Amino acid sequence: MLITCPYCGPRDVIEFTYQGDGNRERPQPASQNLDAWNAYVYDRLNPAGDHNEIWQHSGGCRAHLRVVRNTITHEILSTAFARGGHKSADNRAEGRS
Amino acid sequence: MSPRRTEIGGRIDRLRTIRFTFDGAPYTGHAGDTLASALLANGVTLFGRSFKYHRPRGLLAAGVEEPNALVTVLRGEVREPNIAATMVEIYDGLVAVSQNRTPSLAWDISAINQLGGKILSAGFYYKTFMGPVIGPLKGTRFWMFCEHFIRRAAGLGKAGTAPDPARYERMNAFCDVLIVGSGPAGLMAAKAAADQGARVILADLEANFGGSANWSGETIDGMPAADWALRTVGQLEGNDNVRLLPRTTVWGYYDGNTLAALERVTDHKEVAAKGEPRQRYWAIRAGTVVLATGSFERPLVFPGNDRPGVMLAHAAERYVNEYGVLPGQRIALFTNNDSAYRSAVAFKKAGAAVVAIVDVRSDVSNEMRRLASEAEAELLAAHAVIATEGGKGLTGLKVQRFDAMSGALSGDERSIHADSLLMSGGWSPTIHLASQAGAKAEWDPARQAFLPPKPTQRWPNQQWVGAGAFTGGFSTAEAIAEGRAVGLQAAGGAVSSAPLPVVEVAPGDPDPAPVFEIKAKGKSFVDFQHDVTAEDVRLAHREGFVSVEHLKRYTTLGMATDQGKNSNVPGLAIMAEALGKPIPEVGTTRFRPPYTAVSIGSLAAERFGDLKPERLTPMHDWHLANGARMYSAGLWYRPMIYGLAGETVEQAYVREAKATRESAGIVDVSTLGKIAVQGPDAAELLDRVYTNMFSTLAVGKARYGLMLREDGLAFDDGTTWRLGDQEFLMTTTTANAGKVMQHLEYFLDVIWPELKVTVTSVTDEWAGAAIGGPNARAILASCVTGTAVDNATLPFMGIVHGRIAGIPVMICRLSFSGEMAFEVYSGAGYGTHVWEALIEAGKPFGLVTYGLEALGTMRIEKGHVTGAEIDGRTTARDLHLDWMLSKKKPFIGSAMMDREGLIGSDRLELVGVIALDNRALNGGGHIVEELDEANPHGSLGHITACCYSPALGKYIALALVKGGKARHGTRAFVSDPLRNRFGPIEIVSNHFYDPDGSRMHG
Amino acid sequence: MAEQHLPERQSPLEPEYHPGSHGNFEHGVDVILSETRPGSILQLAAWPGEEKRLIEIIRKVAGLALPDGAGGGVSSGARAVFGFAPGKFTVVDEAEGLAQAFAGSITPAIGTLTDLSHGRTAIRIAGPKAEWVMAKFFAIDFALPAFPLGAGRSTNHHDVFAQIQRSGADQFDIYVFRSFARSFWKALCHASEEVGYEVQ
Repeated sequence: MLITCPYCGPRDVIEFTYQGDGNRERPQPASQNLDAWNAYVYDRLNPAGDHNEIWQHSGGCRAHLRVVRNTITHEILSTAFARGGHKSADNRAEGRS
Repeated sequence: MSPRRTEIGGRIDRLRTIRFTFDGAPYTGHAGDTLASALLANGVTLFGRSFKYHRPRGLLAAGVEEPNALVTVLRGEVREPNIAATMVEIYDGLVAVSQNRTPSLAWDISAINQLGGKILSAGFYYKTFMGPVIGPLKGTRFWMFCEHFIRRAAGLGKAGTAPDPARYERMNAFCDVLIVGSGPAGLMAAKAAADQGARVILADLEANFGGSANWSGETIDGMPAADWALRTVGQLEGNDNVRLLPRTTVWGYYDGNTLAALERVTDHKEVAAKGEPRQRYWAIRAGTVVLATGSFERPLVFPGNDRPGVMLAHAAERYVNEYGVLPGQRIALFTNNDSAYRSAVAFKKAGAAVVAIVDVRSDVSNEMRRLASEAEAELLAAHAVIATEGGKGLTGLKVQRFDAMSGALSGDERSIHADSLLMSGGWSPTIHLASQAGAKAEWDPARQAFLPPKPTQRWPNQQWVGAGAFTGGFSTAEAIAEGRAVGLQAAGGAVSSAPLPVVEVAPGDPDPAPVFEIKAKGKSFVDFQHDVTAEDVRLAHREGFVSVEHLKRYTTLGMATDQGKNSNVPGLAIMAEALGKPIPEVGTTRFRPPYTAVSIGSLAAERFGDLKPERLTPMHDWHLANGARMYSAGLWYRPMIYGLAGETVEQAYVREAKATRESAGIVDVSTLGKIAVQGPDAAELLDRVYTNMFSTLAVGKARYGLMLREDGLAFDDGTTWRLGDQEFLMTTTTANAGKVMQHLEYFLDVIWPELKVTVTSVTDEWAGAAIGGPNARAILASCVTGTAVDNATLPFMGIVHGRIAGIPVMICRLSFSGEMAFEVYSGAGYGTHVWEALIEAGKPFGLVTYGLEALGTMRIEKGHVTGAEIDGRTTARDLHLDWMLSKKKPFIGSAMMDREGLIGSDRLELVGVIALDNRALNGGGHIVEELDEANPHGSLGHITACCYSPALGKYIALALVKGGKARHGTRAFVSDPLRNRFGPIEIVSNHFYDPDGSRMHG
Repeated sequence: MAEQHLPERQSPLEPEYHPGSHGNFEHGVDVILSETRPGSILQLAAWPGEEKRLIEIIRKVAGLALPDGAGGGVSSGARAVFGFAPGKFTVVDEAEGLAQAFAGSITPAIGTLTDLSHGRTAIRIAGPKAEWVMAKFFAIDFALPAFPLGAGRSTNHHDVFAQIQRSGADQFDIYVFRSFARSFWKALCHASEEVGYEVQ
């Protein structure tokens, strides 16, 4: 399986670490809503089809990516930096010859 | 002259004679021969014994699909079993032996299994050995009795036990177009794509590119097809953008157009060159894959179809045209299609007598009748072979009139004298890789074959196109046209109208008659290697197996090393008939990787033995030179003890720990995880990830910190040093360095992207030496320049910068051993310099070096926790670290840490344990209230770490025990049935030694 | 800080560093392996949006003009720079002390500077078979069009992280963690035996 890192380009899946369901929302740090915390820590979607996932390019640039992957076909539909921002000077599509 | 070698012809080098042995007997062959062709040329007909019945077997095929002629190749002590003789290129000194026979191939004792054929039918093992005991010869207990004999009798080649000294390698490759198969279609595709400037890889599992061109006898562009192939390969060879991989089997098709291939680099050589791998595992990432994998000819299923001398027709044609070997002198053919007629002409030309062509069809075309006359063969249309005769070689066959519509036999049997029977049951495209990629094959009733689907059905992750026989176009002209078209398409080129190479058209209809089996008396084999007969398939049906996947597993049809390359379609056809369903409704099984057997060595490649990565500290060589016994901790290597002559491990660590507490000791702590945390929000990040405050820490001071996981359980601990207003050096446990780094990166990237913090692994930047003991400060004072190290300048948890032996160092006063102790950090490149200077300065004080054992001993005495206690199940409270849980701020885990289950009174808590019988304790031993050696029960918890404590003079341990502090001062027992260690203990505080910390605070 | 004379840094490769020709070299040496031992290896990181300012500082301080784009880099004589992650760059100098040269320029508003001069080991592979040997380790495309001159890549070989810069048409500089360097070096030598190699 190949995942296209927005910085490094397409790389083999062995360079990546799965970092969980990308649909989770972390409650505000001071929140005392245990249900919300419980949902964040334990509840996971397990769709047969397109799934929002977090992957870290741990064996490359180490950026975390938001990946949409089809869990049936393993097709990677999109990848983007989890952390916004680094686009102008670094966008691979702009600068690569 | 070998008995079966033709006078002329073939693509072998007749001037080069090669000597080899088979089953100890010497033979010769020519360069270009396979073991199969060379032995066949020498008149060998018997190559192996079948799996179950030990029936004598000869060659069925000429290529990778060979199911019978499996041999073991020996190289010195190393034996590689189950290799098809058709895939072994001979070299001088090759030693091959046959398999599955005792004592010899010609006289095999287990051939008696044939007499018990009824008993060894489908599902034999399930029926005989499973379930309750009913009578003496059934059930699981009977299996226990028989297993030894069966295990010895079953299986084919024996694996060796000698270590394999060969080298295996892994190689990564990238290309625009990967072409699998180098027949006319593959060659045309490669040429077309390469001419477009695409990066092309052409892989073929055979030694020579060309595929069918090497033996078809056809003419392409006015020259023999084999010469055309050679010329085309020559044109490709010169291109920088083309990589040619002969002897390379593409065996796996994975997501994202990643393919796995195995190159047999030196298997055909007498000796490998220096450093040359035996096999190379190619991981190929291709833009587009061109599948030009050709097709397999199918055997016909009839009684005696496994007798040595019965072979596939095209295989025989290949032996004649490519190797100059005739499979027999009196040849009969048995076919359901036209392709065998061309073969007949080839055999006649090579000098054999073609005694008969037995065709199941009544309406044989005039063209085919002409070819039969040309071969001077008697044509027996509407006939079928119903039996074969002979022992270890064929002597004749019996035929009868046959009605292809009803399958009925009629009329008198007739015997034909022949030493070779060549069969053709039609052709099946080699769709394995497409099937692996998720393509669902479609049954084509005209071709009587499963064809790859149209492009629209493809899975999105696999971009492949097909050409040639793979698509069901079985003529060379189609292969050439399709090959060029898909080559251009794959390379993004425009459709070409340039003239194609001209192929002299071989006449014939590609569609066979839908006949797969001749039902007559005797064993008719479907899967030759696993001895699965047509009757076994029907038996499975009668016993209720309706799914093709179940049929496969129950009968083991298609599960031998050839993975159903020969048996798949005939097996399905017989199943379909039994079910009374058309073949497409029965469906086919999905092919899985690997396409052919793959050596484990090639998968491990460079990752074995010494070449497993090791992490070494800057002082590693010093440790080795000074008597350290090393211990692997994850990938790191660390000194366990520095043993003196004659010392046991326990004596060594007790001496080291004692000397440290009495004077001073030094230990290499370079392996501790170190993370630079930098930026305007560095302190804020630390406040969020640690349970305690770091924003209040003064520059030049360190603090012990604890991290929790999101679920509120303890995660890691360590000290973090504030080196500047916006710069911290975080230390982690050795084992968790990577995890903590990922944890920080995750939160910075995903949860708190607004924080301006850089985290960088600097574990390797710093060499660390921890020096502790009553004299540690005096030793430092004697060698450090540029700073004082007294209590005022360097208080507990203080940091100073200075020099040792002129080298800049950073010294932090903190203690793991419980003694007055300091961690001295320097640039890793100076680690040994500083270490040696400290050792030198320590000499007057009797400074000892100590290893992990003494380190562990002193931490147990102090009751400090490590990964053994922070085990993913314990909370801060369980470990008595609740004083570190700040109430002034939220932190990771703060919301979840007080959940009901995490604060219960029955949780396991950290305690100390003293053995009252003065015997060593073991990690993992249980603590119980009542000792019951016969029936251990009632665990209160378990021991996490243990040692002999020189400070206490006792065997002690840390343990996680229900009740925790409430049990201090009470007695219990250790119950460790695994190691038969039972005995009384006392539960105490985990702070065994110097509980008020007066020694380290000094 | 006054410059004091410091001893030569210890190489992590030392016991396994054997200058001379090795492997299948009778037919010629197809790769040359060496440890380049730069005095300075720095990591510079810019906050999102500050990349261009950092690139400008690198140009001023190190005299290296970074080309635009992910993984862009330049290698010229004693100094080299390349991007290896979003907003992050590795800057290398033969001489020690490059960190001090940058110290004043990289303000907290722009980003951070991390000195890795000891923590990373620089290994160079050069020669006609350099791409071939590198492909044995890393699942990245080393062909010149895919990996242009000066460009940098972050990747790994099993557990060994590596930053790689193409410093010549057939030359790569590999930066690995110091603790892994000897293990990687041994593997690199082993993999180079097939083509014949020289250690310089």
